Amino acid sequence: MAIVRRKMTPGWFILLVFFVIGALLSLFPFIWMVIGMTQNPNDVVAGKLIPGKEFALNWQKISTTYETVSFFLNSMKIAFITVILGIAVNSLAAFGFEKYPSKARDRVFGVLLLTLIIPQMAIVIPLFKEISFMKLLNTHAAIILPSVMSVFIIFFLRQNFKMFPTEIMEAARVDGAAELSIFVFIVIPTMKATFASASIYMFLTQWNSYLWPLMTILTDKMKTLPIAMFSVMRAYTIEYGGLMILVCISTFPILVLFLAMQKQFVQGLTGSVK
Amino acid sequence: MLKIHNRYHRYLNRTGWGFIAPALLFYLVFMLYPIGSSLFLVTQKWRGMSREFVGLGNFVRMAHDQVFWKALSHNFLFMIIQIPLMVFLAMVIAVILHQGIKRFRGIFRTIYFLPVVTSLVAYSILFRILLQTNGLLNNFLLSLRMIAEPIGWLNDPFWAKITIILALTWRWTGYNMVFFLVGLQNINKEIYEAAEVDGASQVRQFFTITLPLLTPVILFSLVTSTSGTMQLFDEPNVLTWEGGPANATMTAALYIYRQAFVLNSDFGYASALSYVMVIIAALLAFIQIKVLKERQ
Repeated sequence: MAIVRRKMTPGWFILLVFFVIGALLSLFPFIWMVIGMTQNPNDVVAGKLIPGKEFALNWQKISTTYETVSFFLNSMKIAFITVILGIAVNSLAAFGFEKYPSKARDRVFGVLLLTLIIPQMAIVIPLFKEISFMKLLNTHAAIILPSVMSVFIIFFLRQNFKMFPTEIMEAARVDGAAELSIFVFIVIPTMKATFASASIYMFLTQWNSYLWPLMTILTDKMKTLPIAMFSVMRAYTIEYGGLMILVCISTFPILVLFLAMQKQFVQGLTGSVK
Repeated sequence: MLKIHNRYHRYLNRTGWGFIAPALLFYLVFMLYPIGSSLFLVTQKWRGMSREFVGLGNFVRMAHDQVFWKALSHNFLFMIIQIPLMVFLAMVIAVILHQGIKRFRGIFRTIYFLPVVTSLVAYSILFRILLQTNGLLNNFLLSLRMIAEPIGWLNDPFWAKITIILALTWRWTGYNMVFFLVGLQNINKEIYEAAEVDGASQVRQFFTITLPLLTPVILFSLVTSTSGTMQLFDEPNVLTWEGGPANATMTAALYIYRQAFVLNSDFGYASALSYVMVIIAALLAFIQIKVLKERQ
Protein backbone atom coordinates (compact mmCIF):
# COMPACT_ATOMS: atom_id res chain seq x y z
CA MET A 1 0.00 0.00 0.00
CA ALA A 2 2.84 2.34 -0.63
CA ILE A 3 1.96 5.80 -1.88
CA VAL A 4 4.90 5.66 -4.22
CA ARG A 5 5.07 3.34 -7.16
CA ARG A 6 8.81 3.15 -7.63
CA LYS A 7 11.63 1.83 -5.52
CA MET A 8 12.52 4.57 -3.10
CA THR A 9 15.92 5.97 -3.97
CA PRO A 10 17.31 9.15 -2.33
CA GLY A 11 16.83 11.01 -5.60
CA TRP A 12 13.15 10.09 -5.77
CA PHE A 13 12.66 10.97 -2.15
CA ILE A 14 14.01 14.50 -2.63
CA LEU A 15 11.92 14.93 -5.79
CA LEU A 16 8.81 13.84 -3.92
CA VAL A 17 9.51 16.27 -1.08
CA PHE A 18 9.63 19.11 -3.61
CA PHE A 19 6.51 17.72 -5.27
CA VAL A 20 4.59 17.93 -2.00
CA ILE A 21 5.99 21.38 -1.21
CA GLY A 22 4.92 22.52 -4.69
CA ALA A 23 1.40 21.29 -4.07
CA LEU A 24 1.29 23.12 -0.74
CA LEU A 25 2.44 26.32 -2.46
CA SER A 26 -0.31 25.91 -5.06
CA LEU A 27 -2.88 25.47 -2.34
CA PHE A 28 -1.64 27.99 0.19
CA PRO A 29 -3.08 31.24 -1.28
CA PHE A 30 -6.56 29.67 -1.24
CA ILE A 31 -6.33 28.81 2.44
CA TRP A 32 -4.82 32.17 3.23
CA MET A 33 -7.53 34.17 1.47
CA VAL A 34 -10.15 32.47 3.62
CA ILE A 35 -8.19 33.14 6.80
CA GLY A 36 -7.58 36.72 5.67
CA MET A 37 -11.32 37.46 5.51
CA THR A 38 -11.57 36.99 9.26
CA GLN A 39 -8.56 39.06 10.31
CA ASN A 40 -8.03 42.70 11.09
CA PRO A 41 -6.09 44.56 8.36
CA ASN A 42 -2.75 44.57 10.22
CA ASP A 43 -2.78 40.80 10.56
CA VAL A 44 -3.56 40.40 6.86
CA VAL A 45 -0.53 42.48 5.93
CA ALA A 46 1.70 40.69 8.44
CA GLY A 47 0.52 37.40 6.95
CA LYS A 48 -0.66 35.83 10.21
CA LEU A 49 -2.05 32.36 9.71
CA ILE A 50 -4.41 32.19 12.66
CA PRO A 51 -8.06 32.99 11.86
CA GLY A 52 -9.33 36.18 13.48
CA LYS A 53 -12.81 37.20 14.57
CA GLU A 54 -13.39 40.26 12.41
CA PHE A 55 -15.24 38.86 9.43
CA ALA A 56 -18.44 40.73 10.28
CA LEU A 57 -16.54 43.97 10.81
CA ASN A 58 -14.61 43.53 7.54
CA TRP A 59 -17.82 42.89 5.66
CA GLN A 60 -19.52 45.89 7.22
CA LYS A 61 -16.60 48.19 6.38
CA ILE A 62 -16.21 47.04 2.79
CA SER A 63 -19.92 47.00 2.02
CA THR A 64 -20.53 50.48 3.40
CA THR A 65 -17.55 52.01 1.57
CA TYR A 66 -18.04 50.14 -1.72
CA GLU A 67 -20.96 48.74 -3.68
CA THR A 68 -19.85 45.21 -2.83
CA VAL A 69 -23.10 43.45 -3.68
CA SER A 70 -23.35 45.33 -6.97
CA PHE A 71 -19.83 44.20 -7.91
CA PHE A 72 -20.87 40.58 -7.55
CA LEU A 73 -24.20 41.00 -9.32
CA ASN A 74 -22.60 43.01 -12.15
CA SER A 75 -19.99 40.31 -12.70
CA MET A 76 -22.62 37.57 -12.67
CA LYS A 77 -24.98 39.42 -14.99
CA ILE A 78 -22.25 40.29 -17.49
CA ALA A 79 -20.76 36.80 -17.51
CA PHE A 80 -24.14 35.06 -17.91
CA ILE A 81 -25.38 37.30 -20.71
CA THR A 82 -22.04 36.94 -22.51
CA VAL A 83 -22.24 33.15 -22.28
CA ILE A 84 -25.84 32.95 -23.51
CA LEU A 85 -25.36 35.31 -26.45
CA GLY A 86 -21.87 34.02 -27.16
CA ILE A 87 -22.81 30.36 -27.23
CA ALA A 88 -25.79 31.06 -29.48
CA VAL A 89 -23.83 33.18 -31.96
CA ASN A 90 -20.61 31.15 -31.98
CA SER A 91 -22.14 27.68 -32.08
CA LEU A 92 -24.39 28.61 -34.99
CA ALA A 93 -21.36 29.98 -36.83
CA ALA A 94 -19.21 26.94 -36.05
CA PHE A 95 -22.01 24.67 -37.26
CA GLY A 96 -22.45 26.70 -40.42
CA PHE A 97 -18.73 26.57 -41.18
CA GLU A 98 -18.40 22.86 -40.50
CA LYS A 99 -21.60 21.28 -41.81
CA TYR A 100 -22.36 23.53 -44.79
CA PRO A 101 -18.97 23.49 -46.49
CA SER A 102 -18.26 26.03 -49.20
CA LYS A 103 -15.08 27.61 -50.51
CA ALA A 104 -16.28 31.14 -49.80
CA ARG A 105 -17.08 30.34 -46.18
CA ASP A 106 -13.75 28.58 -45.73
CA ARG A 107 -12.03 31.74 -46.88
CA VAL A 108 -14.05 33.76 -44.37
CA PHE A 109 -13.00 31.29 -41.68
CA GLY A 110 -9.39 31.79 -42.71
CA VAL A 111 -9.76 35.54 -42.20
CA LEU A 112 -11.27 34.93 -38.75
CA LEU A 113 -8.33 32.74 -37.77
CA LEU A 114 -5.90 35.32 -39.05
CA THR A 115 -7.24 38.00 -36.68
CA LEU A 116 -6.76 35.58 -33.80
CA ILE A 117 -3.10 36.62 -33.86
CA ILE A 118 -3.81 40.28 -33.11
CA PRO A 119 -3.06 41.12 -29.47
CA GLN A 120 -6.00 42.35 -27.43
CA MET A 121 -4.31 45.70 -26.76
CA ALA A 122 -4.18 46.49 -30.48
CA ILE A 123 -7.96 45.96 -30.76
CA VAL A 124 -9.12 47.73 -27.61
CA ILE A 125 -7.49 51.09 -28.37
CA PRO A 126 -9.57 51.75 -31.53
CA LEU A 127 -12.49 49.80 -30.02
CA PHE A 128 -12.59 52.27 -27.14
CA LYS A 129 -13.06 55.16 -29.59
CA GLU A 130 -15.84 53.23 -31.31
CA ILE A 131 -17.61 52.38 -28.06
CA SER A 132 -17.38 55.96 -26.86
CA PHE A 133 -18.74 57.14 -30.21
CA MET A 134 -21.65 54.71 -29.76
CA LYS A 135 -22.27 56.38 -26.37
CA LEU A 136 -21.83 53.03 -24.62
CA LEU A 137 -19.10 54.03 -22.18
CA ASN A 138 -19.86 53.09 -18.58
CA THR A 139 -22.55 50.60 -19.59
CA HIS A 140 -22.46 46.84 -19.26
CA ALA A 141 -23.26 46.55 -22.96
CA ALA A 142 -19.79 47.97 -23.58
CA ILE A 143 -18.32 44.92 -21.87
CA ILE A 144 -20.75 42.33 -23.23
CA LEU A 145 -21.12 43.19 -26.92
CA PRO A 146 -17.45 43.04 -27.98
CA SER A 147 -16.95 39.68 -26.25
CA VAL A 148 -19.95 37.87 -27.75
CA MET A 149 -18.17 36.72 -30.90
CA SER A 150 -15.07 34.70 -30.14
CA VAL A 151 -12.96 33.25 -32.92
CA PHE A 152 -11.40 30.87 -30.46
CA ILE A 153 -14.80 29.48 -29.40
CA ILE A 154 -15.93 29.14 -33.03
CA PHE A 155 -12.73 27.24 -33.74
CA PHE A 156 -13.14 25.04 -30.66
CA LEU A 157 -16.76 24.21 -31.46
CA ARG A 158 -16.02 23.59 -35.12
CA GLN A 159 -13.33 21.06 -34.19
CA ASN A 160 -15.85 19.25 -32.03
CA PHE A 161 -18.67 19.41 -34.60
CA LYS A 162 -16.42 17.41 -36.93
CA MET A 163 -17.29 14.42 -34.73
CA PHE A 164 -21.01 14.84 -35.32
CA PRO A 165 -22.03 12.38 -38.07
CA THR A 166 -23.47 14.13 -41.14
CA GLU A 167 -25.58 11.01 -41.88
CA ILE A 168 -27.79 11.84 -38.91
CA MET A 169 -28.47 15.25 -40.44
CA GLU A 170 -29.34 13.59 -43.78
CA ALA A 171 -31.75 11.24 -42.05
CA ALA A 172 -33.43 14.12 -40.25
CA ARG A 173 -33.76 16.01 -43.54
CA VAL A 174 -35.48 13.05 -45.11
CA ASP A 175 -37.88 13.17 -42.19
CA GLY A 176 -38.56 16.77 -43.11
CA ALA A 177 -36.70 18.54 -40.31
CA ALA A 178 -35.70 22.15 -40.92
CA GLU A 179 -31.97 22.95 -40.75
CA LEU A 180 -32.27 25.08 -37.63
CA SER A 181 -34.28 22.45 -35.80
CA ILE A 182 -31.68 19.82 -36.68
CA PHE A 183 -29.18 22.00 -34.91
CA VAL A 184 -31.36 22.88 -31.93
CA PHE A 185 -33.02 19.52 -31.31
CA ILE A 186 -30.42 17.01 -32.45
CA VAL A 187 -26.93 18.54 -32.38
CA ILE A 188 -27.15 20.53 -29.14
CA PRO A 189 -28.56 17.68 -26.99
CA THR A 190 -25.98 15.17 -28.24
CA MET A 191 -23.04 17.52 -27.72
CA LYS A 192 -23.82 18.81 -24.25
CA ALA A 193 -20.29 18.23 -22.96
CA THR A 194 -18.79 20.33 -25.75
CA PHE A 195 -21.26 23.12 -25.09
CA ALA A 196 -20.47 22.92 -21.37
CA SER A 197 -16.74 23.28 -22.04
CA ALA A 198 -17.26 26.27 -24.31
CA SER A 199 -19.65 27.92 -21.84
CA ILE A 200 -17.21 27.47 -18.98
CA TYR A 201 -14.42 28.99 -21.03
CA MET A 202 -16.53 32.01 -21.96
CA PHE A 203 -17.82 32.45 -18.42
CA LEU A 204 -14.34 32.30 -16.92
CA THR A 205 -12.85 34.69 -19.47
CA GLN A 206 -15.57 37.25 -18.92
CA TRP A 207 -15.70 36.81 -15.13
CA ASN A 208 -11.97 37.46 -14.90
CA SER A 209 -11.62 40.09 -17.60
CA TYR A 210 -9.85 43.17 -16.37
CA LEU A 211 -8.28 45.28 -19.13
CA TRP A 212 -11.43 46.13 -21.11
CA PRO A 213 -13.73 46.81 -18.12
CA LEU A 214 -10.94 48.94 -16.64
CA MET A 215 -11.10 51.11 -19.76
CA THR A 216 -14.87 51.34 -20.17
CA ILE A 217 -16.36 51.39 -16.66
CA LEU A 218 -16.10 54.66 -14.81
CA THR A 219 -18.47 54.61 -11.83
CA ASP A 220 -18.36 52.45 -8.74
CA LYS A 221 -21.88 51.09 -9.13
CA MET A 222 -21.13 49.66 -12.57
CA LYS A 223 -17.87 47.93 -11.67
CA THR A 224 -17.16 44.22 -11.96
CA LEU A 225 -15.18 42.31 -9.33
CA PRO A 226 -11.71 42.52 -10.93
CA ILE A 227 -11.76 46.29 -11.38
CA ALA A 228 -13.47 46.71 -8.01
CA MET A 229 -10.64 44.81 -6.30
CA PHE A 230 -8.19 47.04 -8.12
CA SER A 231 -9.95 50.18 -6.84
CA VAL A 232 -9.94 48.88 -3.27
CA MET A 233 -6.22 48.19 -3.59
CA ARG A 234 -5.64 51.66 -4.95
CA ALA A 235 -7.51 53.52 -2.16
CA TYR A 236 -5.62 55.73 0.27
CA THR A 237 -6.40 53.46 3.19
CA ILE A 238 -6.69 49.89 2.00
CA GLU A 239 -9.38 47.76 3.63
CA TYR A 240 -7.30 44.60 3.62
CA GLY A 241 -9.86 42.41 5.39
CA GLY A 242 -12.62 43.55 3.06
CA LEU A 243 -10.31 43.12 0.09
CA MET A 244 -9.83 39.48 1.07
CA ILE A 245 -13.61 39.08 1.12
CA LEU A 246 -13.74 40.40 -2.45
CA VAL A 247 -10.92 38.08 -3.49
CA CYS A 248 -12.89 35.14 -2.08
CA ILE A 249 -16.12 36.27 -3.74
CA SER A 250 -14.31 36.46 -7.05
CA THR A 251 -12.56 33.09 -6.65
CA PHE A 252 -15.12 30.77 -5.11
CA PRO A 253 -17.80 30.65 -7.81
CA ILE A 254 -15.12 29.57 -10.28
CA LEU A 255 -13.64 27.14 -7.77
CA VAL A 256 -17.03 25.48 -7.28
CA LEU A 257 -17.58 25.35 -11.04
CA PHE A 258 -14.18 23.72 -11.44
CA LEU A 259 -14.68 21.13 -8.71
CA ALA A 260 -18.16 20.29 -9.96
CA MET A 261 -17.24 19.93 -13.64
CA GLN A 262 -13.50 19.22 -13.67
CA LYS A 263 -13.48 17.40 -16.98
CA GLN A 264 -15.37 19.98 -19.04
CA PHE A 265 -13.54 22.76 -17.22
CA VAL A 266 -10.09 21.46 -18.16
CA GLN A 267 -11.22 20.66 -21.70
CA GLY A 268 -12.66 24.11 -22.20
CA LEU A 269 -9.55 25.84 -20.90
CA THR A 270 -7.02 23.78 -22.77
CA GLY A 271 -8.89 23.89 -26.07
CA SER A 272 -9.51 20.94 -28.31
CA VAL A 273 -6.27 19.17 -27.54
CA LYS A 274 -6.80 15.46 -27.43
CA MET B 1 -34.19 16.50 -61.50
CA LEU B 2 -30.98 18.48 -61.83
CA LYS B 3 -32.93 21.67 -61.25
CA ILE B 4 -34.27 20.42 -57.94
CA HIS B 5 -30.81 19.31 -56.98
CA ASN B 6 -29.37 22.77 -57.70
CA ARG B 7 -32.12 24.51 -55.84
CA TYR B 8 -31.50 22.29 -52.84
CA HIS B 9 -27.80 23.16 -52.92
CA ARG B 10 -28.56 26.84 -53.06
CA TYR B 11 -30.88 26.38 -50.10
CA LEU B 12 -28.13 24.68 -48.08
CA ASN B 13 -25.68 27.38 -49.11
CA ARG B 14 -28.04 30.10 -47.95
CA THR B 15 -28.55 28.24 -44.68
CA GLY B 16 -24.80 28.14 -44.21
CA TRP B 17 -24.53 31.91 -44.61
CA GLY B 18 -27.53 32.34 -42.35
CA PHE B 19 -25.83 30.38 -39.58
CA ILE B 20 -22.66 32.42 -39.66
CA ALA B 21 -24.37 35.79 -40.26
CA PRO B 22 -24.80 36.84 -36.60
CA ALA B 23 -21.16 36.05 -35.84
CA LEU B 24 -20.04 37.95 -38.93
CA LEU B 25 -22.07 40.97 -37.89
CA PHE B 26 -20.37 41.05 -34.47
CA TYR B 27 -17.03 40.44 -36.15
CA LEU B 28 -17.54 43.34 -38.52
CA VAL B 29 -18.58 45.82 -35.84
CA PHE B 30 -16.24 44.87 -33.01
CA MET B 31 -13.23 43.50 -34.85
CA LEU B 32 -12.84 44.61 -38.46
CA TYR B 33 -14.10 48.15 -37.92
CA PRO B 34 -11.70 48.88 -35.02
CA ILE B 35 -8.82 47.36 -36.99
CA GLY B 36 -9.68 49.56 -39.97
CA SER B 37 -10.20 52.69 -37.93
CA SER B 38 -6.81 52.29 -36.27
CA LEU B 39 -5.32 53.12 -39.68
CA PHE B 40 -6.84 56.56 -39.20
CA LEU B 41 -6.08 56.85 -35.49
CA VAL B 42 -2.42 56.17 -36.02
CA THR B 43 -1.93 59.25 -38.20
CA GLN B 44 -3.28 61.58 -35.52
CA LYS B 45 -1.94 63.12 -32.38
CA TRP B 46 -4.67 63.24 -29.75
CA ARG B 47 -4.96 65.58 -26.80
CA GLY B 48 -8.16 64.52 -25.09
CA MET B 49 -10.86 65.46 -27.58
CA SER B 50 -8.74 67.55 -29.96
CA ARG B 51 -6.42 66.05 -32.53
CA GLU B 52 -4.03 67.00 -35.31
CA PHE B 53 -2.70 65.15 -38.32
CA VAL B 54 0.90 64.01 -37.88
CA GLY B 55 1.23 61.44 -40.66
CA LEU B 56 3.96 59.01 -39.70
CA GLY B 57 5.00 61.27 -36.82
CA ASN B 58 3.89 58.75 -34.22
CA PHE B 59 6.28 56.17 -35.62
CA VAL B 60 9.17 58.66 -35.57
CA ARG B 61 8.34 59.47 -31.96
CA MET B 62 8.20 55.76 -31.16
CA ALA B 63 11.71 55.18 -32.49
CA HIS B 64 13.05 57.51 -29.79
CA ASP B 65 10.84 56.25 -26.98
CA GLN B 66 13.30 54.44 -24.76
CA VAL B 67 10.74 53.48 -22.14
CA PHE B 68 8.70 51.62 -24.73
CA TRP B 69 11.66 49.60 -26.01
CA LYS B 70 12.68 48.88 -22.46
CA ALA B 71 9.14 47.71 -21.73
CA LEU B 72 9.22 45.48 -24.79
CA SER B 73 12.55 44.04 -23.70
CA HIS B 74 10.91 43.04 -20.41
CA ASN B 75 8.35 40.99 -22.34
CA PHE B 76 11.19 39.09 -23.95
CA LEU B 77 13.05 38.77 -20.67
CA PHE B 78 9.99 37.20 -19.01
CA MET B 79 9.53 34.98 -22.04
CA ILE B 80 13.10 33.69 -22.04
CA ILE B 81 13.32 33.04 -18.30
CA GLN B 82 9.81 32.30 -17.11
CA ILE B 83 8.48 30.08 -19.90
CA PRO B 84 11.29 27.46 -19.85
CA LEU B 85 11.18 27.38 -16.04
CA MET B 86 7.42 26.84 -16.05
CA VAL B 87 7.42 24.26 -18.84
CA PHE B 88 10.17 22.32 -17.08
CA LEU B 89 8.25 22.32 -13.80
CA ALA B 90 5.02 21.37 -15.56
CA MET B 91 6.75 18.39 -17.15
CA VAL B 92 8.35 17.19 -13.91
CA ILE B 93 5.06 17.47 -12.03
CA ALA B 94 3.22 15.63 -14.78
CA VAL B 95 5.81 12.82 -14.85
CA ILE B 96 5.62 12.39 -11.06
CA LEU B 97 1.82 12.39 -11.20
CA HIS B 98 1.72 9.93 -14.05
CA GLN B 99 4.50 7.51 -13.19
CA GLY B 100 5.81 8.34 -9.75
CA ILE B 101 2.94 8.07 -7.32
CA LYS B 102 0.24 5.52 -6.80
CA ARG B 103 -2.19 7.22 -4.46
CA PHE B 104 -3.69 10.68 -4.10
CA ARG B 105 -3.07 11.24 -7.80
CA GLY B 106 -6.40 12.94 -8.43
CA ILE B 107 -6.00 15.16 -5.40
CA PHE B 108 -2.51 16.31 -6.37
CA ARG B 109 -3.58 16.93 -9.95
CA THR B 110 -6.53 19.02 -8.78
CA ILE B 111 -4.36 21.00 -6.36
CA TYR B 112 -1.77 21.76 -9.01
CA PHE B 113 -4.46 22.91 -11.41
CA LEU B 114 -6.19 25.08 -8.79
CA PRO B 115 -4.26 28.35 -9.45
CA VAL B 116 -5.81 28.43 -12.93
CA VAL B 117 -9.24 29.21 -11.43
CA THR B 118 -8.08 32.48 -9.86
CA SER B 119 -8.54 35.71 -11.75
CA LEU B 120 -5.29 37.43 -12.64
CA VAL B 121 -6.28 40.43 -10.53
CA ALA B 122 -7.20 38.30 -7.50
CA TYR B 123 -3.96 36.37 -7.40
CA SER B 124 -1.92 39.48 -8.14
CA ILE B 125 -3.50 41.13 -5.11
CA LEU B 126 -2.78 38.11 -2.93
CA PHE B 127 0.84 38.01 -4.05
CA ARG B 128 1.15 41.76 -3.57
CA ILE B 129 0.14 41.43 0.07
CA LEU B 130 2.22 38.31 0.71
CA LEU B 131 5.34 39.86 -0.80
CA GLN B 132 5.32 43.21 0.99
CA THR B 133 8.57 44.07 2.71
CA ASN B 134 7.05 43.26 6.11
CA GLY B 135 4.80 40.58 4.63
CA LEU B 136 4.47 36.86 5.10
CA LEU B 137 7.19 35.60 2.77
CA ASN B 138 9.89 37.87 4.18
CA ASN B 139 8.83 37.05 7.75
CA PHE B 140 8.96 33.35 6.94
CA LEU B 141 12.39 33.53 5.29
CA LEU B 142 13.72 35.68 8.15
CA SER B 143 12.47 33.24 10.76
CA LEU B 144 14.24 30.39 8.95
CA ARG B 145 17.37 32.61 8.80
CA MET B 146 17.50 32.05 5.06
CA ILE B 147 17.88 35.81 4.55
CA ALA B 148 19.50 38.41 6.81
CA GLU B 149 17.24 41.31 5.88
CA PRO B 150 13.87 41.64 4.12
CA ILE B 151 13.90 41.37 0.34
CA GLY B 152 12.26 44.17 -1.64
CA TRP B 153 10.05 41.87 -3.69
CA LEU B 154 8.01 44.84 -4.89
CA ASN B 155 10.40 47.77 -4.39
CA ASP B 156 13.65 46.55 -5.84
CA PRO B 157 13.96 46.64 -9.65
CA PHE B 158 15.69 43.27 -9.77
CA TRP B 159 13.48 41.45 -7.26
CA ALA B 160 10.31 42.90 -8.77
CA LYS B 161 11.14 41.07 -11.99
CA ILE B 162 11.68 37.88 -10.00
CA THR B 163 8.31 38.48 -8.36
CA ILE B 164 6.57 38.62 -11.74
CA ILE B 165 8.34 35.43 -12.82
CA LEU B 166 7.37 33.59 -9.62
CA ALA B 167 3.78 34.78 -9.84
CA LEU B 168 3.39 33.74 -13.48
CA THR B 169 4.89 30.37 -12.66
CA TRP B 170 2.45 29.86 -9.78
CA ARG B 171 -0.52 30.76 -11.97
CA TRP B 172 0.32 28.84 -15.18
CA THR B 173 2.34 25.72 -14.32
CA GLY B 174 -0.76 23.63 -13.59
CA TYR B 175 -2.29 24.72 -16.87
CA ASN B 176 0.70 23.48 -18.85
CA MET B 177 0.84 20.32 -16.75
CA VAL B 178 -2.43 19.22 -18.37
CA PHE B 179 -0.82 19.08 -21.81
CA PHE B 180 1.98 16.91 -20.44
CA LEU B 181 -0.47 14.56 -18.74
CA VAL B 182 -2.25 14.07 -22.05
CA GLY B 183 1.11 13.50 -23.75
CA LEU B 184 2.18 10.95 -21.16
CA GLN B 185 -1.08 9.02 -21.52
CA ASN B 186 -0.33 8.60 -25.20
CA ILE B 187 3.03 6.92 -24.60
CA ASN B 188 2.80 3.17 -25.00
CA LYS B 189 3.46 1.42 -21.66
CA GLU B 190 5.18 -1.50 -23.37
CA ILE B 191 8.14 0.71 -24.22
CA TYR B 192 8.81 1.10 -20.50
CA GLU B 193 8.34 -2.61 -19.87
CA ALA B 194 10.88 -3.41 -22.56
CA ALA B 195 13.32 -0.91 -21.06
CA GLU B 196 12.73 -2.46 -17.63
CA VAL B 197 13.63 -5.89 -19.03
CA ASP B 198 16.80 -4.42 -20.53
CA GLY B 199 17.66 -3.15 -17.07
CA ALA B 200 17.51 0.56 -17.86
CA SER B 201 17.42 2.72 -14.73
CA GLN B 202 14.51 5.10 -14.12
CA VAL B 203 16.66 8.13 -14.79
CA ARG B 204 17.80 6.58 -18.04
CA GLN B 205 14.23 5.70 -18.98
CA PHE B 206 13.24 9.32 -18.47
CA PHE B 207 15.98 10.67 -20.73
CA THR B 208 15.76 8.02 -23.45
CA ILE B 209 12.01 7.39 -23.60
CA THR B 210 9.90 10.00 -21.82
CA LEU B 211 11.76 13.15 -22.81
CA PRO B 212 12.06 12.43 -26.56
CA LEU B 213 8.41 11.38 -26.77
CA LEU B 214 7.31 14.51 -24.95
CA THR B 215 9.21 16.86 -27.25
CA PRO B 216 6.09 17.82 -29.23
CA VAL B 217 4.30 18.73 -26.00
CA ILE B 218 7.30 20.74 -24.81
CA LEU B 219 7.31 22.70 -28.06
CA PHE B 220 3.55 23.19 -27.89
CA SER B 221 3.77 24.51 -24.35
CA LEU B 222 6.68 26.78 -25.17
CA VAL B 223 5.06 28.37 -28.18
CA THR B 224 1.56 28.75 -26.76
CA SER B 225 2.93 30.52 -23.71
CA THR B 226 4.75 33.13 -25.75
CA SER B 227 1.64 34.97 -26.90
CA GLY B 228 0.37 35.28 -23.32
CA THR B 229 3.69 36.66 -22.15
CA MET B 230 3.76 39.05 -25.08
CA GLN B 231 0.45 40.51 -23.86
CA LEU B 232 1.36 40.59 -20.17
CA PHE B 233 -0.72 43.31 -18.50
CA ASP B 234 -2.62 42.40 -15.32
CA GLU B 235 0.34 41.30 -13.19
CA PRO B 236 2.64 44.28 -13.79
CA ASN B 237 -0.30 46.62 -13.31
CA VAL B 238 -1.61 45.12 -10.07
CA LEU B 239 1.15 43.04 -8.50
CA THR B 240 4.16 45.30 -9.04
CA TRP B 241 1.92 48.35 -9.37
CA GLU B 242 1.81 50.11 -12.72
CA GLY B 243 4.99 48.54 -14.00
CA GLY B 244 7.01 49.68 -11.00
CA PRO B 245 9.38 50.15 -9.35
CA ALA B 246 10.71 52.80 -11.76
CA ASN B 247 9.38 50.93 -14.84
CA ALA B 248 11.35 47.82 -13.87
CA THR B 249 8.36 45.61 -14.72
CA MET B 250 6.78 47.82 -17.37
CA THR B 251 5.55 45.74 -20.31
CA ALA B 252 4.58 46.78 -23.83
CA ALA B 253 0.83 46.32 -23.30
CA LEU B 254 0.87 48.19 -20.00
CA TYR B 255 2.85 51.06 -21.51
CA ILE B 256 0.39 51.35 -24.40
CA TYR B 257 -2.51 51.37 -21.96
CA ARG B 258 -0.87 54.10 -19.92
CA GLN B 259 -0.21 56.21 -23.03
CA ALA B 260 -3.88 56.04 -23.97
CA PHE B 261 -5.60 56.17 -20.59
CA VAL B 262 -3.33 57.37 -17.82
CA LEU B 263 -0.66 59.73 -19.09
CA ASN B 264 -1.60 61.64 -22.25
CA SER B 265 -4.79 60.05 -23.60
CA ASP B 266 -2.97 59.95 -26.92
CA PHE B 267 -4.75 57.21 -28.86
CA GLY B 268 -2.75 57.87 -32.02
CA TYR B 269 0.53 57.18 -30.36
CA ALA B 270 -0.93 54.21 -28.50
CA SER B 271 -2.13 52.78 -31.82
CA ALA B 272 1.31 53.21 -33.37
CA LEU B 273 2.85 51.34 -30.43
CA SER B 274 0.27 48.58 -30.71
CA TYR B 275 1.29 48.07 -34.36
CA VAL B 276 4.68 46.95 -33.08
CA MET B 277 2.91 44.39 -30.89
CA VAL B 278 0.92 43.16 -33.87
CA ILE B 279 4.07 42.72 -35.95
CA ILE B 280 5.84 40.82 -33.18
CA ALA B 281 2.75 38.69 -32.55
CA ALA B 282 2.56 37.87 -36.27
CA LEU B 283 6.24 36.89 -36.32
CA LEU B 284 5.80 34.72 -33.25
CA ALA B 285 2.72 33.07 -34.77
CA PHE B 286 4.68 32.40 -37.97
CA ILE B 287 7.48 30.75 -35.98
CA GLN B 288 4.93 28.78 -33.94
CA ILE B 289 3.26 27.37 -37.02
CA LYS B 290 6.64 26.51 -38.58
CA VAL B 291 7.91 24.76 -35.47
CA LEU B 292 4.69 22.82 -34.83
CA LYS B 293 4.33 21.78 -38.47
CA GLU B 294 7.90 20.58 -38.74
CA ARG B 295 7.38 18.41 -35.68
CA GLN B 296 4.32 16.77 -37.11
